[in-house]
Amino acid sequence: MTIIYLRNIARFVFLVLFQVLILNNIQFSGFINPYFYIYFILLLPFETPPWLLLLSSFVLGITLDAFTHTFGLNAAACVLMAFARPFVINAISTGTEFMIGHSPSLRNQGLKWFAYYSIILVLVHHFALFFLEIFRFTEFFQTLLRALLSSLFTLLLVFIAEYLSIPREKSSSSR
Amino acid sequence: MRYLLYFLRKHYIYILFLVLEVISLLLLFNNNAYQNSALTYASNGFAGTVLNVSSNISEYFSLRRVNRILAEDNAKLHSTRSEAFYKADTNSFYQHDTLYKLEYRYIAARVISNSTNKRNNFIMLNKGHRQGIENHMGVIMGDRIVGQVVSVSDHFCWVMSLLNKDSRISGKFRKNNQLVNIEWNGGSYHIGDVKEIPKHVVIHKGDTIITSGNSDIFPEGLLIGTIEDFTIAQEENFNYASIRFATDFNSLSFVEVLIDLMRKEKEDLKNSFKTIEK
Repeated sequence: MTIIYLRNIARFVFLVLFQVLILNNIQFSGFINPYFYIYFILLLPFETPPWLLLLSSFVLGITLDAFTHTFGLNAAACVLMAFARPFVINAISTGTEFMIGHSPSLRNQGLKWFAYYSIILVLVHHFALFFLEIFRFTEFFQTLLRALLSSLFTLLLVFIAEYLSIPREKSSSSR
Repeated sequence: MRYLLYFLRKHYIYILFLVLEVISLLLLFNNNAYQNSALTYASNGFAGTVLNVSSNISEYFSLRRVNRILAEDNAKLHSTRSEAFYKADTNSFYQHDTLYKLEYRYIAARVISNSTNKRNNFIMLNKGHRQGIENHMGVIMGDRIVGQVVSVSDHFCWVMSLLNKDSRISGKFRKNNQLVNIEWNGGSYHIGDVKEIPKHVVIHKGDTIITSGNSDIFPEGLLIGTIEDFTIAQEENFNYASIRFATDFNSLSFVEVLIDLMRKEKEDLKNSFKTIEK
C-alpha cells in the first residue's frame, strides 16, 4: 500500500518538474502547449477515494500555477477533470476491466478503453484551461484551435509514455 | 440535524468539488487582490528557488548571444559619454545643473522563468523587495520594453509580459507623435496589434512605434516595434495595424527594472486631482 503512495508522489514530483522545466519552455507557434502533467490524474489507482482524487488534483494544479503565476487556472481545470474521472470510467467500462491495486493503463484495459478514457479527460481539462485563461468570446475559434491542437500533443505524449512503460510492467506485476 | 449529516455524507464529493472549484475561480479572477498575500509570498519563494536552479544551468547556453547584446549596449553607451563628443569650447566648466534631475534608476535582473507560448505570459526575475522592487514598475531590455512588475516577494518578482491579455501599452508613432494603443492577441510572440489609429494618420510599413510616456510605467521614447501590416477600415473611425515587436521575448535573459524616483510625487499629484473631482 505504501509503495503505491510513494510511487504516485514520485510521479507527481517528476511530472511537475518535467512540465515546468521542459514543456513550458517549448515554443511551437504559440498555439501548442502540451500539458502532460495531467498524466498524474489519469494514472491514479482505480480505488483512490474520491476526496483524495479531488484534493490531490487541486494540489497538482495549484503547484503548476505557482510556477506560471496563474493562480487558480490549472487548479480549476484539474479539479474539473478529477471530478469527471469516475463518471467517465463508469460510462465506458463494462465491469471486467478493474483490478485491485491497479492504475488505468493501456496494457491492462486495452487500447480502446484507454483511448476513450484519456481522450475524454484530456479534452475536458484542456477546454476548461484554455477558455478560463482567455475568458472572453471574441477569440472563440482561436482558443478552440489552441485547445484542440494542445490536446492532440498531450495525448501523443500520454500514449508515448504508455508504450514506453509496457516492457517495464511485464517484470513488475503491479503498479 | 441528522438528516443534514446524512445529506452531507451522501453528497460530500459534490460539495468538495464545488468548494475546490470556487476557491480556484476566486483565486483566478481576484488575482490582483492577492498580490501581496501570504500565498503569493510563499509560492514565489518556492517556485523561485526551483526556477533559479534551472536557469543557473540553462543560462550557459545563451552566453554567446548575451555577450553580443551586452557589447552592443556598451558601444551605445560609450558613444554617449562626454569623451565621445568634440569639445569646441575649451573654456567650459562643470556646473551643478538644476535643469536635469535624475528621474529613473535601473536595476539589472536576471530572467529565471519566461514563457511566450501561453495566452497570458509572465516572467520571473531574481530581484525582489530587498533590492527595492515594487509593483507597477516597468521592465525593459536596453531601449526596448518588456513588461510591468505585478507581484513581488523578498527575493523574486513576477513581471506581466507584454504578451498578456491584460497588457495594454500606450504608444505613439515616432514620425508624428500620434497616440495609439498596443495589445497582444495571442499567436506569434513577434506580432502584436496596434489599435485606435486615427484616420488621418498615413501609415507605412516599417513605421516605428515608441512609448508615449503617458502611462506611469514607461518613460517616453522606448522602442516597441515597427508596423508590419495595416488595414484601412472603411466604416469605422479608426484604422488597425499589426506590429512586429522590437523585443525578442523568447530570448530574454538579462533585463532592467525601472525605478521611477519621482513616482510618489506623480501619484500624489494624481490623487490630489481625484479629491478635487469628488
